[in-house]
Amino acid sequence: MPDSGLAQMSNATLVSAIVLYAVAMLAYAYDFAFGRRSSAAAARSKPERVATVALVGAAAGPDLSGHAFPADPADPSELADLDLDAVGGPSGSAGSAAAGSGSGQGAGVAAGALQGRARSRWPEGVWVRAAFALTCAGLALQLFAIATRGIAEHRVPWGNMYEFIAAITCAAVIVLVLASVRFRAYFTGLFVLLPVVLALAVDVVVIYTPVGALVPALQSYWIAIHVTGMIIAIGMYVFGAVVTVLYLLVARHERRVAAGEIPAAGGVLAQLPGSTLLDRLSYRTILFAFPAWTFAVIAGAIWADHAWGRYWGWDPKETWSFITWLVYAAYLHARATAGWRGRRAAYIQLFGFACLMFNLVGVNLWITGLHSYAGL
Amino acid sequence: MTLRLAGRQGRADAPAPSADQAGQADPDGPADPGQAGRVSRAGHGGQGVKGGVPFGLGGWLRWGWRQLTSMRTALVLLFLLALASIPGSVLPQEGIDPAAVSQYYAAHPALAPLLARLSGFDVFGAPWFAAIYLLLFTSLAGCVLPRAYRMARSARQPPPKAPRHIGRLPQATSFAAPAAPDQALGSAAGFLTKRRFRVRTGEGWVSAEKGYLHEVGNLLFHVALLGLLASVALGGLFGYKANKLLVEHQTFANTPAGLDVFRPGRLVTATDLQPFSITLRSFSARYVETGPQRGQPLEYNARLSYSASYGGRLRSYDLQVNHPLNVDGVQVFLIGHGYAPEFKVTDGTGRVVFDQPVPFIPLEQSGLTSAGVIKVPGASPRELGFAGVFLPTEVVTPAGTLASVFPAAWIPRVSLVSYAGNLGMNGGQPQSVYSLDTRHMHQLDVAPRPLAPGQSIVLPHGLGTLTFTGYVQWASLAITYDPGQMPALISALTALAGLILSFLVRRRRLFVRAVAGDAGGAVVEFGGLTRSDAAGGFEAEFAELAGEIMQTVGGFPAGAGQAAAGQVGDGGHAGGAASADDEVVLAEQEAASDDDQVALAGQRESE
Repeated sequence: MPDSGLAQMSNATLVSAIVLYAVAMLAYAYDFAFGRRSSAAAARSKPERVATVALVGAAAGPDLSGHAFPADPADPSELADLDLDAVGGPSGSAGSAAAGSGSGQGAGVAAGALQGRARSRWPEGVWVRAAFALTCAGLALQLFAIATRGIAEHRVPWGNMYEFIAAITCAAVIVLVLASVRFRAYFTGLFVLLPVVLALAVDVVVIYTPVGALVPALQSYWIAIHVTGMIIAIGMYVFGAVVTVLYLLVARHERRVAAGEIPAAGGVLAQLPGSTLLDRLSYRTILFAFPAWTFAVIAGAIWADHAWGRYWGWDPKETWSFITWLVYAAYLHARATAGWRGRRAAYIQLFGFACLMFNLVGVNLWITGLHSYAGL
Repeated sequence: MTLRLAGRQGRADAPAPSADQAGQADPDGPADPGQAGRVSRAGHGGQGVKGGVPFGLGGWLRWGWRQLTSMRTALVLLFLLALASIPGSVLPQEGIDPAAVSQYYAAHPALAPLLARLSGFDVFGAPWFAAIYLLLFTSLAGCVLPRAYRMARSARQPPPKAPRHIGRLPQATSFAAPAAPDQALGSAAGFLTKRRFRVRTGEGWVSAEKGYLHEVGNLLFHVALLGLLASVALGGLFGYKANKLLVEHQTFANTPAGLDVFRPGRLVTATDLQPFSITLRSFSARYVETGPQRGQPLEYNARLSYSASYGGRLRSYDLQVNHPLNVDGVQVFLIGHGYAPEFKVTDGTGRVVFDQPVPFIPLEQSGLTSAGVIKVPGASPRELGFAGVFLPTEVVTPAGTLASVFPAAWIPRVSLVSYAGNLGMNGGQPQSVYSLDTRHMHQLDVAPRPLAPGQSIVLPHGLGTLTFTGYVQWASLAITYDPGQMPALISALTALAGLILSFLVRRRRLFVRAVAGDAGGAVVEFGGLTRSDAAGGFEAEFAELAGEIMQTVGGFPAGAGQAAAGQVGDGGHAGGAASADDEVVLAEQEAASDDDQVALAGQRESE
């Protein structure tokens, strides 16, 4: 029997998590608007330094005089080429200056890593720090909410649309936190939390479902495998899509700056890393999301074979997950094809994300199939 | 061979490392995610093609094959396949829900036949759908197989010579060492060998390579997709699917005649069916009885007894959802359930002409209101027919209509309309047991009144009596045999493993050069590049290796003056007179990151 006391606690905790996310979002936004003004000077000097190192790295590689290796080689700053703060700088000025040669830029970063110049992984600036702390606190509350709901129901808490959305937003925030720390991609906070907060608000207000038992079709340990895989993959896809949107905006901004249409400085876009790095960050996210999605689809096929007697039956949900898989595969291939890289590949990825969202919402609402119990 | 040649020509044309070379410089190392392999092959012109314009039949064939196996075609086919799948999810499909197709025909009488002609109700079996995926898989095979061959060849080859200008590699550093250059190189080579690099040494240099599994994973993924297709085909040829609606206490045998729906694979004959028989001893269902989820099912259990062969030993099995029965590799699933009210009909002459349960089909799930018909062709003086609904838990709504509010049979009632006349069953036309053809019948004037078990309808004009004697339940079973199932699983898991492997493993090369320093000892240059660093982290690995190599040879960071001297052999490069090997590695340097590399190779394709 579901435990209603725990369930209520779960609901209240989830609402608190949404509030924390919203406040974190405001703090991230405040940082964009005002928090960086003081460090503008630093930002202006940094690009030059980076560019210099890049030149050194590219043209006179051996001249790494006095550049000691990191004291502890076991703890190198991983994925240094995605060290967004160190390389990116304001996209308008530094990004384009150093991005003249991609490999030169990479060398510059590597040289930076060799110098032990790598900065802390943790956020800099009061507002980003506060926003990140709030995000983590919100995430802790959301995890608690999901766990208590699962305990209240004596099952994996992803048996209906309400629980599923709570879980994928949670996964998106986890990806956000990991990417923030690992790639120092704190700038993504605002843009990831925005859809998360909106989705959670709709989830809680419109499609709340009371705790309950699962229909027999869902009573299988495969729900823990298949649906968890889906949740993880979707969380990463969400992050990838957000970064890709940023990439498209920044790329357009860079083109317009290069064309002299608008000044380089000012605006949120000028504070984001360069488009090359955004593209790479998004690509790398999809590189992890795609195998996760593949795994989840395979797990779903095994479960389908177990429950319905065929591993693939072109049920609408299956068909759309297949379409999503194809489009993301096309994205990975397009990124490797001349004439398709950059913007066109980015659009393909967003198209794949649209397919994913349609599978999540459209197929549940408008098309009936064997997965219909997952409906609203 | 061709590749080397092309690379050399490129060198003659353009001293600077060009995109052209980047794609072709390394004949044995196709790039990531494997597509550079595709595009770079577009580079070999071969016979019959001059300047991209094909001539002769052979030329056209080669040109066509190259187009088909090009990355761009693969992309377009991927999109087409996605696009072609969409109608399959929007239109009802014959193989999934035939009833919905009939409904579609009724709702769109003009459009439906047109769609049927375009295979709109059988999208995934349509010729145009098959054409797309077969082309895609041909394209894939045409790309992957030559690459597998080249990979096998490259696996036996040592890494290339170290470039003269290590400093120009994406990752490079240098340091001074007290030992002589040869000694320093020796210990560096030893270290790299210990780190399981494939090492090659030469006069004043060491090159090392590692991460061949990257390409292995990539190929594994693509080959496994071909395996998946083969597995699906295997199931389609030798497997079969069947359905059977089984009422409690009834038995059926796994023969084409004993099954309601039988869809054999192309090469399946009736004798291939596994000879088991199944009896449904009882069916039970549990539902949530209170709260907002009231009526939601909690458990279905079909208690079966079965024997694997005619006259074989009887066994029992509790068939549940997610808990199929396996008989001789054939799987039996519980996919539906419902009620079968039992009726006894006495005709006008006083004979009992009908006494059996009749399966009713659920119209909705929350109350399991079910519809069905009773046909009594043996009744005299007139044939009798009844159509109506079974209500497991009957209530009368405020509007005065009947409804069922709970799926369990708490207040079971049937409500029937009675007909007399000609059922039309003797015309030789097959009829559905779930519908009544009333064209040659007339409705009898019976007061509409729901019947409780034991109650009867007395028909007017002495036509007879119908008694609702009780009810049993039925379960619908899906029976599937798919010999492609296990190969498909293996293929899918192999594809996944290949995918992960190719994303996690990076192929990288490291180079060491050492020359005698001004003040004795050696100046060691260490550089590296990766071609496929999908998951990132090469910079970190390089820094770590550089640190350890420096320790191994007992080196120390070079001072400013030494570093200048450390620019080993920096002669003549600007003039374009660098050695051929140098060019190759430099070309690769451009291609350092996977995306860059592919971009360069891709430019080749667009030329």
